[in-house]
Amino acid sequence: MEEFPGELRTPPVALVALVGFPELHAPITAHLHAEQPPINALALPDISKISVFARTPKDNSVPVRPVPGILKRDWVSKHRTRIPAVVAALFSSDHVSGDPAQWLQVCNDMDNLKAVTKPRNIKLVVAVVTQSSSKDEISEDRMLALRKKAEIDAKYVHVFTTNDPLELEQSLNRLRSSLAELANAYYRDEGRRIKSRLERKNLNSIELHIRCCFKVAVYAEFRRDWAEGLKFYEEAYLSAREMVGSSTRLPPIQRLVEIKTVAEQLHFKISTLLMHGGKLAEAIMWFRRHIDTYKKLVGAADASFAHWEWLSRQYIVFAELLETSSAVLSDVASATSGIAEKLTELEFYSAYYYQAAAQYLKEKSSCLELALSLSEHADETDDNDQSVSSVYVGQFVRLVELGEAVVMQPLTDEEFIRYALAEAKRFQASFEIVALLKKSSESYNNHHMLRMASYCGFKMAREYFTAEKFGDAKQSFDIVADLYRREGWVALLWEVLGYLRECSKRIGSLKDFIEHSLEMAALPVSDANGIQSFMDCGPAGPLGLLARETIHKEVFGLVRGEQDILLNEENNPLKVTDDTPLFLEIDLVSPLRVVLLASVAFHEQVVKPGTPTMLTVSLLTQLPLDVEIDQLEIQFNQTEYNFIIVNSQRSHLAAISKVQPGRRVEMAPVLKVATNRWLRLTYEIISEQSGKLECMYVIARIGRHFTISCRAESPASMNDLPLWKFEDRVESTPIKDPGLASSGQKAIQVEEPDPQVDLKLDSSGPALVGENFVVPVTITSKGHSVHSGELKINLVDTKGGGLLSPRDVEPFSTDNLHVELVGVSDRESADQSDIGSENIRKIQPSFGLISVPIIEEGKTWSCKLEIRWNRPKPVMLFVSLGYSPYGRETSSQKVHVHKNLQIEGKTALTISHQFMLPFRQDPLLPSTGKAAAGSDTTPVLPSKETSILLVSAKNCTEVPLRLLSMSIESEADNKCTVRQKMEEPMEPALVVPGEEFKKIFSVIPEETIGNMNIGTVCLRWRRDCVRGKSVSSSSVTDVCTKQRLPDVTVEPPPLILHIVCPAHATLGVPFTYAIKIQNRTSLLQEIKYSLVDSQSFVLSGPHNDTIFILPKSEHVASFKVVALVSGSQQMPRVTVTSTRYSATFQPSPAASTVFVFPSKPHFEQNGTGDRKLQSLAVE
Amino acid sequence: MIVCVAVVGHQNNPLYIQSFTEADDALKLHHIVHCSLDVVDERVNNPKKSGPTLNETFLGMLYPTENYKVYGYLTNTKVKFILVTTDLDVRDADVRNFFRRFHAAYVDAVSNPFHVPGKKITSTIFAERVSNIVKSFGLSSTG
Repeated sequence: MEEFPGELRTPPVALVALVGFPELHAPITAHLHAEQPPINALALPDISKISVFARTPKDNSVPVRPVPGILKRDWVSKHRTRIPAVVAALFSSDHVSGDPAQWLQVCNDMDNLKAVTKPRNIKLVVAVVTQSSSKDEISEDRMLALRKKAEIDAKYVHVFTTNDPLELEQSLNRLRSSLAELANAYYRDEGRRIKSRLERKNLNSIELHIRCCFKVAVYAEFRRDWAEGLKFYEEAYLSAREMVGSSTRLPPIQRLVEIKTVAEQLHFKISTLLMHGGKLAEAIMWFRRHIDTYKKLVGAADASFAHWEWLSRQYIVFAELLETSSAVLSDVASATSGIAEKLTELEFYSAYYYQAAAQYLKEKSSCLELALSLSEHADETDDNDQSVSSVYVGQFVRLVELGEAVVMQPLTDEEFIRYALAEAKRFQASFEIVALLKKSSESYNNHHMLRMASYCGFKMAREYFTAEKFGDAKQSFDIVADLYRREGWVALLWEVLGYLRECSKRIGSLKDFIEHSLEMAALPVSDANGIQSFMDCGPAGPLGLLARETIHKEVFGLVRGEQDILLNEENNPLKVTDDTPLFLEIDLVSPLRVVLLASVAFHEQVVKPGTPTMLTVSLLTQLPLDVEIDQLEIQFNQTEYNFIIVNSQRSHLAAISKVQPGRRVEMAPVLKVATNRWLRLTYEIISEQSGKLECMYVIARIGRHFTISCRAESPASMNDLPLWKFEDRVESTPIKDPGLASSGQKAIQVEEPDPQVDLKLDSSGPALVGENFVVPVTITSKGHSVHSGELKINLVDTKGGGLLSPRDVEPFSTDNLHVELVGVSDRESADQSDIGSENIRKIQPSFGLISVPIIEEGKTWSCKLEIRWNRPKPVMLFVSLGYSPYGRETSSQKVHVHKNLQIEGKTALTISHQFMLPFRQDPLLPSTGKAAAGSDTTPVLPSKETSILLVSAKNCTEVPLRLLSMSIESEADNKCTVRQKMEEPMEPALVVPGEEFKKIFSVIPEETIGNMNIGTVCLRWRRDCVRGKSVSSSSVTDVCTKQRLPDVTVEPPPLILHIVCPAHATLGVPFTYAIKIQNRTSLLQEIKYSLVDSQSFVLSGPHNDTIFILPKSEHVASFKVVALVSGSQQMPRVTVTSTRYSATFQPSPAASTVFVFPSKPHFEQNGTGDRKLQSLAVE
Repeated sequence: MIVCVAVVGHQNNPLYIQSFTEADDALKLHHIVHCSLDVVDERVNNPKKSGPTLNETFLGMLYPTENYKVYGYLTNTKVKFILVTTDLDVRDADVRNFFRRFHAAYVDAVSNPFHVPGKKITSTIFAERVSNIVKSFGLSSTG
């Protein structure tokens, strides 16, 4: 874009001139510049200088001659910098309103001014500068006279006030608006004037037509009328295109040059206007048409380089325009709609144009070389005359000095070519091309167009290569090769590798040379698959099997030291010697995997130590010819198993001396790898050590100094060969056995030896909660003696989840643990407590670690694990023994035995209880009366009265238990007395499974309290050891099971009802039946009672009554009753109602039942018994 | 005149590429075909909003370069066909027609039970057929 002068690159800005009053010029100019749209100003201090704008007199006498050119070079700049549109004349108010002499001077100046501006139609503005703000100072007459003199409208005569900032600002604004208005008018008038010439169609030449169009367009641009500007630029451009065939004014070559230069300039303006208007797609369409039109106009062969240069410039300029406007128009998608259906995405990227520019520049440089070589003989003549650009765009002339004057002479085509060649020689095309390609490549990369970027990178690298910058070239080629490799473009890769190979050679990098050569030789190219032999493949030569074979032979000749034909620039032969051995490494992603691929598979996945297993090493190459390997080394992760396979035919050659002593060496009759055929070698291998044995590398040695190290791959996880995977080739598996081929691994797991020790866990049925449950562990040696043995014990919740984990033991308190490992007892350690100090012994609630003493063959050792259950829960017990069978210190060779056992934990005894009241005595407890419906709330006991507590324990295990004692432990601050009603049994009671044991306690609450704690039932028991003979005595320990009794509510009873009645009656014998009601309160109580007759009895006494009981006293209602029927009989039911508490009481049927004997019974005394049975007297 | 046709596989690897020029610019055509894959990617990833381009296999002109125009076609199995021509004025209908016939030939070639999908197409019958299609390019519509 720099080729164009600045006035074309930026939109034109209107120009005005300020005359007179130089001290005001600076503020006015600054003001005009700052506002939008800006106006440029020329400052003339004095009116006398006005003549610079004067029109040069045209000599009309000269006859009309053909127009010498199309556009004048400096016309635009003239109008932008020299010819103003408006002149602002500044006069002092003193002069205007001063004495006649001053006024005359003003009139004179005005006349001079008009003389200059009139012919050019320059507009005029007059400003009278005054110091004071009062306008009255200047006389109206003088102002009117001035206006008349200037022949301008009244609004263009200003009074310019300077002393007040506000006034100054207003004056400046007024002046500015006038100037802007007039400048617009000037450019419009000028444009119109030229347009009218165009419309009259009396222009006699097409050159003038173009020129007029151009001028109209520029004037329109001054007015910011972009649409009209565009229209006339386009017209001019189209006219220029018409000139191509018709113009004869200049010699043919220069004619074309002129038209192309004009077209370029016009196109540039069009593109700029379109892009700034946001019409990106249209601009691209214009560009396309522009190129289509002019691309074919190559012109004469010897000046073709100029054409290519011009073409290249078009692309560069357009690309730069595109880049600058891309900020404005980022949304390509919106631009592509509408007319741009035919455009491709690529055409919106500047990179596309840079790439093309580079392409044409390359064309130019090759044409230039040709032209230079042809003109060499003619170039000798040193011509003095200088050729320069003429006043017309796209024309060149020769300056000839004729005496003092310098005359411009037109050039002949030969002279022009000579000039153009000389100009072109100064220009470094190669740099330029690389720069363009680099720009393009970077831009493509930014748009994620990697292939385009690679192509640019490739061209760039080729340019470097031509310029003999091999280092840079190699770097670029490497990047490009990577993409082609990845996507499998073999022909392109071949070409790039050819360049790389040549670069490596020229740099002197032997390793790279060998690598690239080997890769080329192994490329999937054969004559059969239809790829034509390309003529132009760069230094690689034509693509084909033959070429691959040639390269193969060359490389192997070199590495075997049989050939050293390669010469780099310093004529140093590249060769592999003792000093420069060559080591190639091929890993899983290396492109050289096609050269040598090593697959290693063990025939088994797991093996016992000391058992032989088979190992197959398979090698594959895609090189075109057979490769003979002198020596193969197989390396493992355990170096002692490394071994070497020697080619027996070449054993004299191979570097056997490198073999470490003691290393296993195998001889193979021949080690020859053929193209695309696996070389399979199978050997036996015995591993002694348990663990993982993995094959790491397969190292092939060829010749004395050449080594290829291949990383071993498992057949199961082998990737496809790069490039070759797309080929239709015969694919075979590295191992014949199809199972191994799909699952074979390069690593084998060597197991630990089988344990020859028995680990036994015993358990005697389910464990009971609370007891220390004993699990005996027995270790019996059966062939292995146990050294440095360790027993690990783990308790795991069978249901999973968080029972206990060995690590976070600390936060647990014993209460929280459901099951815990309490201890381990072993007989031996108790005896040898001195040795035991060394033993490891870690016991944690769920984890234990015990060291096991040395157990010799055939001996047994046992210990007992004590486990306590705090809650019923099934638990899995894991015990594992790790030991080394030999007394050696090798800890790695441990043998492990694992055993597990599931143990249930069960609750031994369930405890239940029941509260009762004394027989035929019922306290009235208001709360129970109210909550009669309420079922099992906390039991309510009367305070200071005896209640009876019945505790029962039921055996719910499957083994008989011995109950040692049952008691209630009261807490210290207990508010009730609990007494045992029976004495302790003499010997522990036997409770068989399912049986219940009961015991009675009396409870007397002392205080009235809401929640009273009665105490904790404490039950001591143990397993019945007499029957469970199998359980050893030590396990029978007393267990104390405790259960806290629930709280009870204690209330004072206001009334207590006793039913007094004999235990039994005799038929026909009357007895007394009384109801005794105690009033415990200090209130008078009203009681109603009623009695219902019973058939079995005759009753005397009132059936209903209401009585009042005094405070703290009692009332007895007694009846005489005679039984009529014998047997167990229901007494007459009494119902007592307390009006105060509105509580009704009726004794339970049990309480009001009596047994009636038919006659008075006789209880015989048992003489031997200590106890006396009393006969109950009947009252 | 068609100067080059190509079938490009899923990994952007060439499955079949054949040039029909006497000149020694065959390798350049490889480059052009390879570069055109960028435009195919771009077009597939950012489809134009306007137009019923959904499920359209014919991608249109990919880009003009030097003296060539490159056209693209994407099958439903995401195999790409690329066509490079030197004709300046090409009718879309002709190119569509060409691709349709080319696609048919391709389908026949890969339907061969001995062809392994994803591998290069080495069938000589396919090559012959393609060369016939190329020769008749543009003739059918004019005639």
